[in-house]
Amino acid sequence: MKRLTVQNQRPFELSLVPELTAAEFEAEGRQILSEGSRMMGLFEVEKTSGGKKVLAVFGNNETSQIYIVKCVFPKEGERFRSFAYEFPNTNYFECELAENSGILPEGHPWLRPVRKQNTILGNIPYQFYRVEGDEVHEVAVGPVHAGVIEPGHFRFQCHGETVYHLEISLGYQHRGIEKLLLKADDNKRALLVESIAGDTVIGHSMAYSLAMEALSKTGVSLRASVIRSIAEELERVAMHLSGLSGVANDVGFAIGAAAYGRLRTLVINSLLLISGSRFGRGLVRPGGVMYDLTEGAVKKITENLLIVQKDIAEINDFMFSSTSVMTRLEATGKVHYKWASEVGMVGPAARASGVKTDVRQDFPYGAYRYHATQTVTLDSGDVFARARIRSLEIEESLGFILERFVDIPQGEIFSEVKALRENTGVISLSEGWRGEIMHAILTGPDGKISSYKVKDPSFNNWYGLALSVRGEGISNFPLCNKSFDLSYSGHDL
Amino acid sequence: MYKGLKIRLAQGEPAIKDLQKASLPELFRGMPQIDGQKFTDGGKKCLEACPTGAILPDPLRIDLGKCTFCSLCTKANPEGAISFTSEYHMSSSTREGLITDGSVKMIRPEMASEKIRKYFGRSLKLRQVSTGGCNGCELELNALGNVNFDLGRYGIEFAASPRHADGIVVTGPVSKAMSKALYETYEAVPNPKIIILFGVCAISGGVFQDSEEIDRSFLKDFRADLYIPGCPPHPLTFISGIMDWLDRK
Ligand code: SF4
Ligand code: SF4
Repeated sequence: MKRLTVQNQRPFELSLVPELTAAEFEAEGRQILSEGSRMMGLFEVEKTSGGKKVLAVFGNNETSQIYIVKCVFPKEGERFRSFAYEFPNTNYFECELAENSGILPEGHPWLRPVRKQNTILGNIPYQFYRVEGDEVHEVAVGPVHAGVIEPGHFRFQCHGETVYHLEISLGYQHRGIEKLLLKADDNKRALLVESIAGDTVIGHSMAYSLAMEALSKTGVSLRASVIRSIAEELERVAMHLSGLSGVANDVGFAIGAAAYGRLRTLVINSLLLISGSRFGRGLVRPGGVMYDLTEGAVKKITENLLIVQKDIAEINDFMFSSTSVMTRLEATGKVHYKWASEVGMVGPAARASGVKTDVRQDFPYGAYRYHATQTVTLDSGDVFARARIRSLEIEESLGFILERFVDIPQGEIFSEVKALRENTGVISLSEGWRGEIMHAILTGPDGKISSYKVKDPSFNNWYGLALSVRGEGISNFPLCNKSFDLSYSGHDL
Repeated sequence: MYKGLKIRLAQGEPAIKDLQKASLPELFRGMPQIDGQKFTDGGKKCLEACPTGAILPDPLRIDLGKCTFCSLCTKANPEGAISFTSEYHMSSSTREGLITDGSVKMIRPEMASEKIRKYFGRSLKLRQVSTGGCNGCELELNALGNVNFDLGRYGIEFAASPRHADGIVVTGPVSKAMSKALYETYEAVPNPKIIILFGVCAISGGVFQDSEEIDRSFLKDFRADLYIPGCPPHPLTFISGIMDWLDRK
């Protein structure tokens, strides 16, 4: 075998990862991908006088296994035959590697910048993809958008009102998180992780904390695990409510927008009762959680959630049976199953297109190993499905939290984290509300972190948004965008 | 129709009536207090624990413009020398005003000049610019528009175009890639105009202050009018700060 097989959050000795030549990597990579695995990461881990070493991580949802290979590129041979034509899910990862390390994926169908507009391809300025023709026109939007929203640039190639192609150009939120993570001490690193995407504080802290616990062989109490998953589901409910409010707002359904917004306040205030922050900041840390769940808080949160449960059923019923809303949502922004699975979409957006993917079941971690959740999928892949799936997931998460409240295990909430083991690596996946989060951490011979790679689910899904507007009227873009609800900061790092 | 009415009734009266006197749960980390007597080590452990250099020595003070309210300093000093109250009145009209020796109970900005109050006192339109933060601040700014805070009732609104705005609200540490857009957005706002810094990232760079990927020259060229601390700041810190500054009741 030319690969190392591991599981989610299982530490592995770095010496066990096979080192391949570019030719071997091309063959083994194709083999892994053709077995139905998806790329999860492709990044440089070491620079030596002999060349650059790159780690490639693949995951298989069916078998719950993660495959890792290392490829060594000598100085004169920083190139490999691109996988992207045959396996489009690798496309963006290869662009990222080229941008960060200058390693060229030969034959790549569309090599383009990921975060830095001018560094790829030996500083040849990048030209946006263009559609030519007499009546074709280009629409450029951003980086500053109308509204309180993060910056990004969108380039539409249109014919009349119809969008032929959309190119999404990001990087405006790039603040060098991965580099800062390497320099930071434990205290600061945890804060940085919470600021990868401020709407996914718990999701990212989970992936980070579980990775650190794996690397140091620190056990976490059942109580802490359960509190963490309660917080994770609260975050999911809150952000799904916020997304539904946004969709309702975009179709002019004001009462829905107001009502979902009001319920979201109840949920984030519940998170405040656990952690002192409406976004759960400061709660999840390697070793457990920093605040215990008091009986008073459980009582108050239960009250809040029962209100949410009751009200949301009514609002959902009203919204999803309203003809004026449904005509806007149905058949708008379709991404069918084939596209969604080929480009490697994750999270609710993928599930709305019928792709069954959810880290909580496919690569279970923390409390989800004992308490399963149900994966919900829909198949129409339109704005309706992406909105509806979120309302279904809210119900599922509320049920999960209320069930956990019935008997929370007793015990300590925090265990001291031991020293990290040397020359060890770990791939840590969690299911943030947008989908699969990956943190890959490697340690050096001194037991210090030598490499840190983060992947936010938005990295997988931005391309899905571009596909969803093909053939759509350009005026439907805001609605499609809202239905994906992706992160700029999580992508830009 | 009937369903709609029922939902409307179920909403009740969600708006918080008096935004200056609302109370937040005890666990909320707002205005810090320092009790120097309780230090057993003169505050050394706190200083070392702080990830953003928000604690200043001799005499011990906390710079709210750098504080992320992570509460590591309270954990480093279990004697309770530094503690966080749930007080949300923390906005200041000067950068120095954010540095507290821990004896003040709350911070309130000084009243804006008469000219500013005359122009903006009854209607203030703001253009927000995200510059490399994490979107946490944007979430709280958006929350200001929901039915609970309902900022619009005070005539304060977020505008889509800088041309329609009276000032900008900056969030994030100012990434290199956003530096130019920030200058241009500010220039597009007609005079007189104001600058509000929302969140620790905008005020000092926060957890990103050492990054090579940020460029804060805009904030060196222009002085801010109002500083709203927090990571992210609570919506009430924003509203109360603006209301005090504009002398609105
Ligand atoms: S709460 Fe503020 S002062 Fe205390 S350690 Fe955190 S950042 Fe520093
Ligand atoms: S101040 Fe905090 S919440 Fe706001 S952008 Fe910075 S890290 Fe995010």
